[in-house]
Amino acid sequence: MGAMFHLAIKDLKLLWRDKVGFFWVLGFPLLIALFFGSIYSGAGSATARSMKIAVITDNMNPTVQSFYDQLGKSDVLVLTPMPLDSARPLVAQGKLAAYVQYIDSSKSAFDMFSGHKPHIKVGIDPSRKAEAGYLNGLLNQAFFMQLQSRFTDVKGWRRYLKDQRQSWDSIGTGWNSKLGMDFFEKLDGVLESAEKIDSAYAMKSDSASDSVSEKNYSPFAALDVAYEDVAVIWAGPRSSFEITFPQSLQWALIAAAAAFSLSIVTERTRGTFLRLRIAPISRMQILGGKGLACFIFCVGVCSLLMAVGILIFGVGVASWTYLILAILAGGICFVGVMMLISVMGKTEAAVSGAGWAVMLVMAMIGGGMMPLMFMPSWLKSISHLSPIKWGILALEGSIWRGFGFGEMILPLAVLVGVGVVGFIIGTMILSRSDG
Amino acid sequence: MLKHETWHKFGRNKLSMIRVTNLKKAFGAIRAVDDISFEIPDNQVFGLLGPNGAGKTTTINLIVGIINADAGSVAINGENDPTRTHLRRRIGAAPQALAIYDNLSAEENLAFFGKLYGLSGKKLKERVDWCLDLAGLQDRRRDRVGKYSGGMKRRLNMACAIVHDPPILLLDEPTVGVDPQSRNMIFDRIEMLKNDGRTIVYTTHYMEEAQRLCDRVAIIDHGKILAEGTIDSLIETHGGMGTVNAELELPVPENAKLPAELNENRLSFESSQPLQDIAALADAGVKYRSLRVERPNLEKVFLNLTGRRLRD
Repeated sequence: MGAMFHLAIKDLKLLWRDKVGFFWVLGFPLLIALFFGSIYSGAGSATARSMKIAVITDNMNPTVQSFYDQLGKSDVLVLTPMPLDSARPLVAQGKLAAYVQYIDSSKSAFDMFSGHKPHIKVGIDPSRKAEAGYLNGLLNQAFFMQLQSRFTDVKGWRRYLKDQRQSWDSIGTGWNSKLGMDFFEKLDGVLESAEKIDSAYAMKSDSASDSVSEKNYSPFAALDVAYEDVAVIWAGPRSSFEITFPQSLQWALIAAAAAFSLSIVTERTRGTFLRLRIAPISRMQILGGKGLACFIFCVGVCSLLMAVGILIFGVGVASWTYLILAILAGGICFVGVMMLISVMGKTEAAVSGAGWAVMLVMAMIGGGMMPLMFMPSWLKSISHLSPIKWGILALEGSIWRGFGFGEMILPLAVLVGVGVVGFIIGTMILSRSDG
Repeated sequence: MLKHETWHKFGRNKLSMIRVTNLKKAFGAIRAVDDISFEIPDNQVFGLLGPNGAGKTTTINLIVGIINADAGSVAINGENDPTRTHLRRRIGAAPQALAIYDNLSAEENLAFFGKLYGLSGKKLKERVDWCLDLAGLQDRRRDRVGKYSGGMKRRLNMACAIVHDPPILLLDEPTVGVDPQSRNMIFDRIEMLKNDGRTIVYTTHYMEEAQRLCDRVAIIDHGKILAEGTIDSLIETHGGMGTVNAELELPVPENAKLPAELNENRLSFESSQPLQDIAALADAGVKYRSLRVERPNLEKVFLNLTGRRLRD
């Protein structure tokens, strides 16, 4: 084991010092993740989901301001206050999705019985029907949230009723006026009682009571919505990077396998392999050292790339255990692939050419270039032959597919199987060719 | 300065440190090694002299057991299987190719190979220092090997073979492609290693090297050993006569009986007793303007044995 460890350290040191080689195993996969992640990002990144709209500030009053504030609480809208003259051209140029103008003619925020109704004007391209519908829902939500907040302000309501009674009193003595006055007086009486009860409970609450129901009492309380965290079973990736990072990990594994298979041939052609064979270590230890270096490198690079994806690009992890297993299984798989490639030729040029040719085909049919979900069904069937497909599936299963153990076991078993079989076959061929 | 190490001697067999018996190895139709046998006593430098493709490297590879013989046997210190770990630890081999890592420094190369032979800690550090002294690379110890000259790489290639202090050293053409200065340094080091008590197998196609370094030489061609023995015995047995080349003053006395025809004033002839023949001619009145006597050498031995020159 000690000899294998020394061999692995030596190989890792050699690869580390080969800056160009190191770029291909770390820099290139990262670029792939970022490049394709950006291309696909329209599908679901947080920024892409936000709708940028203008809110018109031409007729501002507290009610309008309150409505805009309520609207701005939505995490899917980005509001920019501006005059109508500025907003209209920006919408026409497509720089903003829409503009919203709240036209309110009432004098008070509690003006419920004057017959005035708020009017909202939305400026949006007629082809953006989905956005228009979505925005309509958000506007209604904001309006009702505003309305809800009015009902909880008892003092405000009583002031408003007082104003209304004086206003109606001056109108005349007709039957409708009397009816209105009677309604306002009774409503005010109810609100007065409510205010008293509210004050009493407030005092009691301040002094001693621990009762949750008493503490939370309010005669006109808003709807109390309680939230419970329920783990979501993801039906799809939350961002494009959750698709491209599993792909980029496969490219890192491919590059690592290519680098280490080439290093075996280089050792053979330059004579260092001969020197290792002369040393008091077995052939299995020599190749085991190579495999160990490749495995450590694969796991290290994949962990690093995933850390970048998680910390910087918001890639989520459904199961850390399965993610670790997927990375370990990917490492084992590509140790076997590396061994197989290393016996595909006797020269560096032959192994390099054959290795990349085989692995590019593996990547093409396995979803390393085009995500599996975009592939036609016949290509999806062929993709079963590529370990890249199983590598991506295992990673996606742990990142966003929400796989259970039963679903993870197949891709993990395929990856480990390919690794073990590849290593054995590669070692046998190498032993035979060495005479 | 090199520090002399006291290294473990492993119950040495005084009769033969390496014994090769009827060894055969073929690659397809090519008989690379064809029924060769020899014995190398302890603390000797044994030369395998032959042209490229003669079978020298294959013989070395068979001795260390990295290729399997079709027939025959190799015994190291009386033990038959050279692949045994304890025997491998006592053999150092410098392949003909530069079997070192260009992206590691000399120090890192030596330390890596030392670790493979079980060295560690202070012992490893001492051995690395010793080898750097041996190779004359102390001042470049931390430089990447890729930046070294060919001669420096050759010296390091040899040093890596001896980092674990083996009593048996196999050097496969250790001076290929090096400058004269490095070559002389390598010769000095090999002589020093021999004086330390090591048994050395040295393959070369340069007869001058074999003559300078080797106690015994086996001349090998087409996988067969054509002759084997000390330098003197080989020359005596297979070298033939010495050659006399002289420039004479003219005219030559008429009574002088020349052993060959004159070419203008130059006389060249072969003789088994050159000094006596030269004296006899002088007695007959022949006057020499210049005189050169060439003893037969290994080149001539090879020529006589194969009809070809070593570098043909």
